[in-house]
Amino acid sequence: MIEVRDLVKHYRGGDGGTVRAVDGVSFAVQPGEMVGLLGANGAGKTTTLRVLATLLRPTAGSARVGGCDAVTDPVGVRRRLGYVSATTGVPDRLTPREILDSFGRLHGLPEPARAARVERLIGQLGLATCADRPAGRLSSGQRQRVSVGRALVHDPPALVLDEPTSALDVIGACDLLDLLATLRAEGRAILLSTHRLHEIEHRCDRFVVIHGGRVVAAGTRAELVGAGGDLEDAFFAAVAGAGVP
Amino acid sequence: MTGETEGRFTAALAIARRDLVEFVRDRRTLFVTLLLPMVTYPIVALSSALGLRTAVSDLEAKAASSSLAVAVSGADAVPFVDRLRAVAETPPRTGPAAADWPATLEIEALPAEVAARALATGVADIWVEAAAGTVATLDGDGTATLAARLSPSRVAEPRAERHWEALVRAVSADALRRRATGAGLAKGFLEPLRVVVEEGPAVVAAATSIGPTLAGSILVLLAVLTLTGAFYPAIDAIAGEKERGTIETLLMAPCSAGQIVLGKFLAVFAVTLATLAANGLSIALTAAAAVRLLPAGMSMALADPGGGSVVTLVAFAGLAALAAATCLAVTTASKSGKEAQNTLTPVILLVSALAGTSMLPGLRDNPWLALVPFAGQIVVSRAALVGPGVDGAAALPVALLLGLSLLSALALTWLLLKGTAVMLTDEDILFRGPDAATRGLARPAPRRLPTVAQGWLPAVAGLALVWYVQGIAPGNLLLAIPLHQTVVVLLPLAAMLWWQRVDRARTLGLVAAGSPGRVLASLVGAGLVGAGLFVVSAALLLALQGTDVSPAVRSLSQRLIGLIREHPWWVSAALMALVPAVAEELLYRGWVLSAFAGERPGHSRAAAAVVAQAVLFAVAHLLPERIPATLALGLAAGILRLATGSIVPAIVLHAVHNAMPLVLLALAGEDIQPGLADLATGTRLPPGVLPVALVMIACGGALVAVTVWRRPPDRPSPR
Repeated sequence: MIEVRDLVKHYRGGDGGTVRAVDGVSFAVQPGEMVGLLGANGAGKTTTLRVLATLLRPTAGSARVGGCDAVTDPVGVRRRLGYVSATTGVPDRLTPREILDSFGRLHGLPEPARAARVERLIGQLGLATCADRPAGRLSSGQRQRVSVGRALVHDPPALVLDEPTSALDVIGACDLLDLLATLRAEGRAILLSTHRLHEIEHRCDRFVVIHGGRVVAAGTRAELVGAGGDLEDAFFAAVAGAGVP
Repeated sequence: MTGETEGRFTAALAIARRDLVEFVRDRRTLFVTLLLPMVTYPIVALSSALGLRTAVSDLEAKAASSSLAVAVSGADAVPFVDRLRAVAETPPRTGPAAADWPATLEIEALPAEVAARALATGVADIWVEAAAGTVATLDGDGTATLAARLSPSRVAEPRAERHWEALVRAVSADALRRRATGAGLAKGFLEPLRVVVEEGPAVVAAATSIGPTLAGSILVLLAVLTLTGAFYPAIDAIAGEKERGTIETLLMAPCSAGQIVLGKFLAVFAVTLATLAANGLSIALTAAAAVRLLPAGMSMALADPGGGSVVTLVAFAGLAALAAATCLAVTTASKSGKEAQNTLTPVILLVSALAGTSMLPGLRDNPWLALVPFAGQIVVSRAALVGPGVDGAAALPVALLLGLSLLSALALTWLLLKGTAVMLTDEDILFRGPDAATRGLARPAPRRLPTVAQGWLPAVAGLALVWYVQGIAPGNLLLAIPLHQTVVVLLPLAAMLWWQRVDRARTLGLVAAGSPGRVLASLVGAGLVGAGLFVVSAALLLALQGTDVSPAVRSLSQRLIGLIREHPWWVSAALMALVPAVAEELLYRGWVLSAFAGERPGHSRAAAAVVAQAVLFAVAHLLPERIPATLALGLAAGILRLATGSIVPAIVLHAVHNAMPLVLLALAGEDIQPGLADLATGTRLPPGVLPVALVMIACGGALVAVTVWRRPPDRPSPR
């Protein structure tokens, strides 16, 4: 469902030089699978996800969602992908119901299917008690749920989340990950990036570790961790062994 | 409607709908949209009407009120005061003395020092010294002389002097009567004729209308407030989305950036239109009330208030669209509301100044001003309200002016929205770091060519510097030309070359155009084109305008003649041809054209770059009559620079072009002195020169074409 092949992304640095943010990354996420994209700050996670979300144009390689290429068919990718970025916010002066409804309109959902979809998401995301309150008055957890709801309003088969739990407390993060597990069970392909490894260690089906813009390790938890230790140890070992600055 | 179009508008309308809900819930928007206009116009009208009434009342009071305080000193002070008071008891009823007679008259006999103090402090308007025997002389047959001093505090008040003169005339008339009576003459001896003026039927004076004068000011205010209506919505629309972290979710919508921008524009445009409507309503209500506050004899009548109002609303709808698009374009690159405000505020001030140009005498009646954004709408509306050609309004038919204005507004709006869509998805702008806002001001790493934006900078800075140089430049061209070229052309260029560490040889074209043979041929060709171009441009100017040039061009011609006559030919050639050719070519065909064209441009980009730099070059020459010639020169030199890769042929073309007045003068001989001024600007040409010029252009162009034919491609420098 999500396929990244030999992806390269360079951009101009502050000093006029070239920064190789992503340098030949490849991986795939199948329907009903949740993959964790792991890496330190600046490893290239966000750039990779932004290319997948059609917000950045790749320098080389390809990023595809549901068979649609992010460069040649960006609208097709957007119809098949829900995206929640690390800095995603919600409009303060609109209510969750209005936000979901407006994105439903944007995706061309007709009435009454749109209203039904919005009501279902409000129930599924636990937003019923605050659905008509301006988003500016919601808690961080509730706002993040609205963000996820907005990404799901067009019922996409794939979901990409960039550090979705970074602004949440332990309970909020746990609730969100439970929700993602439910979405995976519905058959969606989910790719999420994080550097809080302990939160997703036992929730993701597979992991891709990137460092310095390259994939330095990939596999299931068992494949990465081996007989002893935990995911964090495996992550440090992969990064240290990569020899990439 | 096709499915694609329907989808486009569905997405745009969904975005517009969502944004409108957000705007309406923002109190700042509501304040600026509704409350500000509702409060502004009544306050302006009330203060203006009260000010007007006070001014009129002051004028009436000044006209009506009059008083005169006379201090008299000297040996005959007391009897002279008695005589003055006796005369004042029977003031004149007719003639100039009656018109200037003061309403109240105070006359006091005072010691000299007290009188002097009264005069100095303004208590007395006039101090008169009545010497001994003054009254006796009045009653006798001599002439009494009075020394009178006006108060320095009343110097600006001419009435005191007129009052005093009226009093003196009355005292003289009284003395004459006394002398006539003493001589036994009849009363009628001194008045052989008396005219009695009877009052005619009452005539009602026509009210003075301040409507035409007021309309211009109100329209400028309307333009500025309409523009202000777009301020907060535009900031909120894109910069606000970035600040809230919602822009990425919007860019993930299944539509193009153009559709997103269209949706944003529709929302901002709707709020701006609402601001316009609120302003229009407030103006109508305020005007209805203000009429009652006007002083008697004044009205706010307009030639066509109904039709004019409709035209104003239509024209200003174009302004609202332009305002919305401008504010969106300016704020798109900002990361936050604060950054957007900082960027937009100076633009609003500049645009307000642009609107103000529609009121400038000498400019406001120019119909082409209708094409100018934010000023054109005022020109159209004013012509519609006060009548075309009336009170400084443009004289073309209103429908034509309105068409020009709307066309200009729509074209600019479209261009701005296109630019906004490009900026919205620009990766550098969308995901730039906090330091990137000032990245353009940092000294960058060395590279080959300047960017397009950096290409504009020295040209625009030069345009601004032209005005400063005009203020300080001496009249003598021997100094003025080098000063102008240094400050306007070379300084901005030198600053850019230092700041932007580009490959100077490549940017300025400091390379040879091939082998020595090719170089020579290209230079000869360039010279032929330059010479021919001057003549053709001059012929074009003659055909378009005749010999009736503006005073500015005439003055320039006279100064050039002075330069040629007073100095050796090589001094004139250096100042008129060589210095401008080298300096201006390095800037326009060197820096600006390299920046606009970039590395190995395609045909369309090369054409756009040549045209853009030629327009900048022509505009920098300021005088409208010179624009066709300088534009043609800029285009030819630009093509030459891109074709040969070298700046030298362009310099030769420019130098020969500028030296042509000298050549033509030499060819014409001394017997053509009266036509010297025309030759200096090319407004008069020797017979038969035009065909020769066309042949020269053809031959020169062919020669250059031969030199660039199969020219080896430029090798990029290793940097």
